[in-house]
Amino acid sequence: MTNQPVKISNESTSSKTDNFLRAFRAVVVLGILGWLAFFVYSNTVNENAEKPFKLGLDLAGGSHLVYEADTEGIDPIEIPDLMNTLKAVIEKRINVFGVSEPAIYVETSSIVSGEQHQRLVVELPGVTDVSKAVEEIGRTPLLEFKLVDLEALAAQQSISEITGKGKDGEDTKAIVKVATSSLLAMGEPYIDTGLTGRYLESARLEFTGAQSGQVANEPVVSLRFTGEGADLFAKITRENVGQQLAIFLDGEVISSPRINEPITGGTAIISGGFNPQEARDLAQNLNFGALPIPIELINTQTIGASLGQEVLEKGVKAGVVGLGIIILFMLLWYRLPGLIAGVALLSYVVIMLALFQFIPVTLTAAGLAGFIISIGMAVDANILVFERMKEEFLSGKTSRESAREGFRRAWGAIRDSNITSILAAIILFWFGSSLVKGFALVFGIGVLISMISALVITRTLLMALPEVEQDRGKVWRFLFGSGFFK
Amino acid sequence: MFAVHYRKILLTIALVLTVASLAIVAFLGLKPGIDFTGGSLTEVVYNEVPEKSALSEVVEKLGIGEFSIQEAVDETGRNGYLVRTQDLTEAERVLVSQAVTSIGKDGEITRFTTVGPVMGKELRDKALWAVAGVVLIIVLYVAFAFAGIGKPVSSWIYGSITILVLLFDVIVPMALVSILGHTSGIEADILFVMALLAILGLSVNNSIVIFDRVRENLVLNRIEKRTKKMEAGVVREEVEYTITKPFDEIVGESISQTMARSINTSLTVLLALFALYFVGGEVTKVFALTLIAGVIAGTYSAICTASPLLVVYAKWQEKKQAETQTKQ
Repeated sequence: MTNQPVKISNESTSSKTDNFLRAFRAVVVLGILGWLAFFVYSNTVNENAEKPFKLGLDLAGGSHLVYEADTEGIDPIEIPDLMNTLKAVIEKRINVFGVSEPAIYVETSSIVSGEQHQRLVVELPGVTDVSKAVEEIGRTPLLEFKLVDLEALAAQQSISEITGKGKDGEDTKAIVKVATSSLLAMGEPYIDTGLTGRYLESARLEFTGAQSGQVANEPVVSLRFTGEGADLFAKITRENVGQQLAIFLDGEVISSPRINEPITGGTAIISGGFNPQEARDLAQNLNFGALPIPIELINTQTIGASLGQEVLEKGVKAGVVGLGIIILFMLLWYRLPGLIAGVALLSYVVIMLALFQFIPVTLTAAGLAGFIISIGMAVDANILVFERMKEEFLSGKTSRESAREGFRRAWGAIRDSNITSILAAIILFWFGSSLVKGFALVFGIGVLISMISALVITRTLLMALPEVEQDRGKVWRFLFGSGFFK
Repeated sequence: MFAVHYRKILLTIALVLTVASLAIVAFLGLKPGIDFTGGSLTEVVYNEVPEKSALSEVVEKLGIGEFSIQEAVDETGRNGYLVRTQDLTEAERVLVSQAVTSIGKDGEITRFTTVGPVMGKELRDKALWAVAGVVLIIVLYVAFAFAGIGKPVSSWIYGSITILVLLFDVIVPMALVSILGHTSGIEADILFVMALLAILGLSVNNSIVIFDRVRENLVLNRIEKRTKKMEAGVVREEVEYTITKPFDEIVGESISQTMARSINTSLTVLLALFALYFVGGEVTKVFALTLIAGVIAGTYSAICTASPLLVVYAKWQEKKQAETQTKQ
């Protein structure tokens, strides 16, 4: 080989140092991959691993609850803050419930659906009886303070009286019509003040003393506001002396005391004819946190634990079988380069698994399916290169020259096809709901990594192979050939 | 090259399949899953499965509105039913679980999903936007990537053909799911949309690889003619390219050269899909099947439709130009 008369380029010198460098690079790449494989393996097997696989609820079993927050009439700037308070309150609740590793997060619906919906997602691994969880969350009280518009209230009351009479056989329709229109003109009798349970610091059961005409020893709940809440409360009471301030619990008026003077101390009392037990429960529930905005359960999903386990096992099995068959196919069709593609494919799988653990990517049934398909797609770049390489090899170039040329010429096609895939993944991630997002993420990362595995790993290993010329015996020619050619 | 030579037959087959699939989807329709319509789905399995009518009777008694019951097998191979209802409140859910587990031996709820109507509509909108967005990006990218290709067919035609081929690749699996929805109650859920999107991606990859080769062969088989022109005191160089081979031959060559790749890549994806279908879980079976249909359609269209369409267009353009010239 050393007395080759014409050298195509400087790179193709096959001096000893170059050969050593090529072999060295290949060993380094293989070494890194081996280490990565070990990392993934130990993380999977070890029970207390720092970075284990994160399984979605459909694989781990459990419940997925989605609550929608009613944000009507709330300043959009305040919404993120409110949602965070909401999250913290629900988190406290769920922790009481004793679920291991619950996930609670706020999800905002995407812009495309017109109105922006604010949602709270509660994921409870291992819990398949959602009724207890739903009940627990449902016990979180919603506390609101609203000013009372007495005129509107009076109008509303009289209407309900009229309509009540109307039922006795009078000309109901006309009356209801008049009543409704007058009600619409008056507007809502209760006006939001912005003071809600989010400003609550603590609640306490107390008994009233025998003073100012109250029943002695009536159980009441005493509230203490946070600094911000105290300021707001002071402002409201200062500006509305003489009016009534209604206290709403879960949408119902508990009491509506008159504001006699500004209250600056940051405390308030709810007295609603409770018995001691009711008052104690309310104080306790308020201490766990009160809802800053009303929420409604709109979506529930429960997957049995054994079911999830089964889906996972079958998915992993399908992945292993798929991987095995594909490697076998590559080996049979592309022979020596096929073997290298097999190694590259294995490294693709290892890198992906390591990324799943590191980022971490929550694996779902859909994500797993996407990953299995991506194994089939990942060899595409290798196939493109090998087919090109074969053409060059058949046209009389040496094996290494044809490999180099193969990579150079296949690049355009690899680039164009992968860029569209990555763009598609980005769009899916942008628009998608959480399920689609997981799939898009796996798909997008998969495309990138498969490109890297083909362009870096396959290339490095292929270049480290000994250079084979056309007249170099049948065995070598066979090894670098493909398909049905000899 | 057979694909170019027999293009009329091959394109007719594709056209017939497309029309048939469109008709199937239009008449049978797709059965949307509850993720899109809103509603509740309860999967109950038993060790000894009760009669469907018995189950139907208990659910009927609850008075929770319309419902449908379908036989199902869970992942562990136990038999049971899928009960579809309107979206249930928490209290209704408890009622339904109690009712359906009370009959049959060892009744167990293995899966329960409820989707509010708002969520369903939102997901539907999102899916539509995602598909539209992906298609748009693909046309733009293909038109952009092949912008320099110029003669004899403009880059927009490459982009448009990519989309036509893509329609074919998507409508065929849609028709399959439509038929299966009719015969065995398979629903088009969010996983189905994801399968379609994956097919979109694969289909475009196939087209791009062949067009990329056409582009390369066009450059290899052309003569450059540079002419210098003086225009208002500035020397302008004009380059004119003449293709030395007939366009259909170039396209034919490109197909032959990329054929092994098209088939092998589809084959490896199919191997993965078959593994998923036969070994993987029940939940992804329909997903795998949709994709298998899409990949097979995609392989056919990549070889037998995409490039032949290019030739058809080029010939049509040639004829039109010839006509206008004779008129002049």
